[in-house]
Amino acid sequence: MYSGKAKDVKIYENNKVKLIFRDSISAFDGEKKDIIQGKGEANCRMSAKLFEILNEYGIRTHYHSMLDNNTLICDKVEIIPVEVVCRNVTAGSFCRRYGVTQGLELLPPVIEFFYKDDELYDPLVTQEVAIQLEWMTKKEVMLMKAVTRAVNTILVELFDMISLQLVDFKLEFGRTHDGRIIVADEISGDSMRLWDKETGEVKDKDRYRKDMGDVIQHYNDVYDKLSKLSKLPELSLSTKAQVIVKLKKTVLDPAGEVTLRSLNRMNYQEIDNVRLGKHVFVNCLTAPSSELLKNLNDMSEKLFSNPLIEDYSIDLWFEEER
Amino acid sequence: MKIGITKFPGTNNEQDVTRVLNCLNVENELLYPRDYRKLKDFDALILAGGFSYGDYLRAGVVAARTSLIDELHDFIISEKFVLGICNGFQMLCEANYLPGVLTTNTSTRFISKWVNIKVNKTNSPLLKGLESKVLRIPIAHYEGNYYNTEASIKQLKDNSQIAFQYCNEKKVVESMSNPNGSIANIAGIVNDKGNVLGMMPHPERSSFHYLGSIDGRSIFENLIEELKC
Ligand SMILES: Nc1ncnc2c1ncn2[C@@H]1O[C@H](COP(=O)(O)OP(=O)(O)O)[C@@H](O)[C@H]1O
Ligand SMILES: [Mg+2]
Repeated sequence: MYSGKAKDVKIYENNKVKLIFRDSISAFDGEKKDIIQGKGEANCRMSAKLFEILNEYGIRTHYHSMLDNNTLICDKVEIIPVEVVCRNVTAGSFCRRYGVTQGLELLPPVIEFFYKDDELYDPLVTQEVAIQLEWMTKKEVMLMKAVTRAVNTILVELFDMISLQLVDFKLEFGRTHDGRIIVADEISGDSMRLWDKETGEVKDKDRYRKDMGDVIQHYNDVYDKLSKLSKLPELSLSTKAQVIVKLKKTVLDPAGEVTLRSLNRMNYQEIDNVRLGKHVFVNCLTAPSSELLKNLNDMSEKLFSNPLIEDYSIDLWFEEER
Repeated sequence: MKIGITKFPGTNNEQDVTRVLNCLNVENELLYPRDYRKLKDFDALILAGGFSYGDYLRAGVVAARTSLIDELHDFIISEKFVLGICNGFQMLCEANYLPGVLTTNTSTRFISKWVNIKVNKTNSPLLKGLESKVLRIPIAHYEGNYYNTEASIKQLKDNSQIAFQYCNEKKVVESMSNPNGSIANIAGIVNDKGNVLGMMPHPERSSFHYLGSIDGRSIFENLIEELKC
């Protein structure tokens, strides 16, 4: 169906695909290319492990199961052509782009979007442009950002348990046949930066980019340490949402009128329309997901607003605690 | 024959309704939100007014999402009578048992006063003998402004579902007599079958001479009469 720089995608039964991890490795948008024995397997099992862990925390991903050493069975999705990068510490292209030194802590973590196109060298893209060019919708961006921050919180804590610092990582998202947005592609040493907390040793694809050697040994070391964990970090993830309920334009807003007249009496003559609405803040005890957003829609329609006279809009986000 | 009177946290009109029913010698019982399984034991239900659940979010909406009001669905389908007064009318609209919604009075004030309402011809037995009369009856509400789309208002008119309209003493429905901004001066409506009546004015507060009017009493009398046959 499709063959990329590191994986093949093949149609599998009922809305699923086989994601086959090859031993090919590349960097700098495909300029540097090699084959490394065992790399496919390493990334395949690492992705499976991380997807399974994320699943435990309620993050919705495309992962179903591992078919063999280098094949994952996943939901077939339409990949959103915008990669989401989340950075806890400055490194790589961020340093080059903004002229800052490596290793600065970013709090709260920074989220960046990149347009997935090798010929254009995966350019940085603003949210506004990506929406305008219809690469993703407003609603999708909202979900992708929230999910990415939730994933970050989980992975930071997870790697901390094995004394590794999650510097940054990349996620891809896809649309399922039934309209959900889920995490897709892979999460592995190829798609993140990990530094040893004590020694600063690099445990990720930078070893390949910078010809540091022993790429697979380090990938596997991370995997082995993760496998030895007897329990996962104790986290209670919550998603925040706010629903704004507005009276429809055609409906008279007596409270808004009174407020407007008050403003005019206070000599704010430049105001000619005031509408008062409602603001509902909701704390949800689950990770962000399309399902949660759908539930919030239902809540808004059934309780927060009366569709006859009111419209509503939903904002959803994830806040790192700490 | 037994009539249920709903009591939600924050409602305060159930005792007034109870007094009227006691006076008319009809068995009645208060029904609390958790009593939804008992609903089948009743022949009619009166949703008494007040400020259920503090009228938070929108008047009547929290009550409208309780099991008791959910269960009303089958009760209404079986053509038993339901009378929603004030907050009870708001609940019926929020639960979609009656069309439309009651929003903030255009004056942005709580209005408590005597009004006149004209009774229109409908198919509801609850209004039997009252057609084209004017009732003197009190209102007390903050959200009594009946709103609906133009198309739905037309439909209500065409189906003769507009039960009451605010009017002057001479039975003229005019804007001066509209206390709250309701479209078409609507003070109460019935469903298409005529077994559900919702009204903002309080018939239970105009059922005794000592209250200043007995114009509201006929609605309860009609209800009891219907249950007898
Ligand atoms: N569940 C999925 N369904 C369909 N395509 C997917 C899925 N998961 C990942 N993909 C896509 O598979 C392709 C192959 O991966 P990769 O070799 O990394 O390609 P690329 O060179 O485009 O990065 C990528 O374009 C990725 O977006
Ligand atoms: Mg890729």
